Amino acid sequence: MADQDALGASLRIAGSGLESQSVRLRVISENIANAQSTASVPGGDPYTRQTITFENALDRATGASLVKVKDIGRDAAPYSVEQDPGNPAADENGFVKLPNVDILVELADLREANRSYEANLQVAKQSSDLMNQTVALLKDV
Amino acid sequence: MNDVYLFELSSQRTAYLSARQTLIAGNVANANTPAYKALDLKPFSAVLQQASIDMATTNPAHLTPTAQELDPPIARENGDEYATVSGNSVDVEGEMVKLGEVNRDFGMATGVKKIFRQMFMQALK
Repeated sequence: MADQDALGASLRIAGSGLESQSVRLRVISENIANAQSTASVPGGDPYTRQTITFENALDRATGASLVKVKDIGRDAAPYSVEQDPGNPAADENGFVKLPNVDILVELADLREANRSYEANLQVAKQSSDLMNQTVALLKDV
Repeated sequence: MNDVYLFELSSQRTAYLSARQTLIAGNVANANTPAYKALDLKPFSAVLQQASIDMATTNPAHLTPTAQELDPPIARENGDEYATVSGNSVDVEGEMVKLGEVNRDFGMATGVKKIFRQMFMQALK
């Protein structure tokens, strides 16, 4: 039954990959949704772009190398500033700080997350397929 | 029928392929993990040749090494030619190719088992 254990472990690993990539998609969508979110008080800081990092986590029960979200951090890049005295978030000189979100970067990241998700899905599909092949040996005995 | 060892061989083959599938899954899942190094197994023939014969114990003090000790999980790192700025060396396209290989070889091994069982049944009936 060592095969099934190993294949079960690979299913779990692919599952952890899917989970991490979905968290990444969530972070990206938050960034895109808040690409224009300014501060609620005059002169305040706007929405700060969120970043996500992964880390390799060893599953002690199976020895499988899972992946998990290490940290959701904040991008330290400077905000862009715009002259817009009519904006409620403008400071006394009429400058508004805009979020440090670059839509193009987010879209590129979105694509990458999408690809990684697909790759993990492919692995999960194949692992269950291999399990089924073994079980199918018991058919028409 | 003493020379028949095809079942054993194909079982070892599927065990090897399952272990390889697990490593591929780990590589793909960690495709975006900083400093993660891709792992793979040595070729099956190399693994098979490492498997040694069980030694007889004629004295209670003799120690028999376990299969784990004789056949350590032989995982080697991929070359650094794929390493990105973050130190990650996973080549997702390469992993997909390996996935296809595992699928084909697994089908082959289970197919051999199936055919071999049919041969047994023909001899018995």
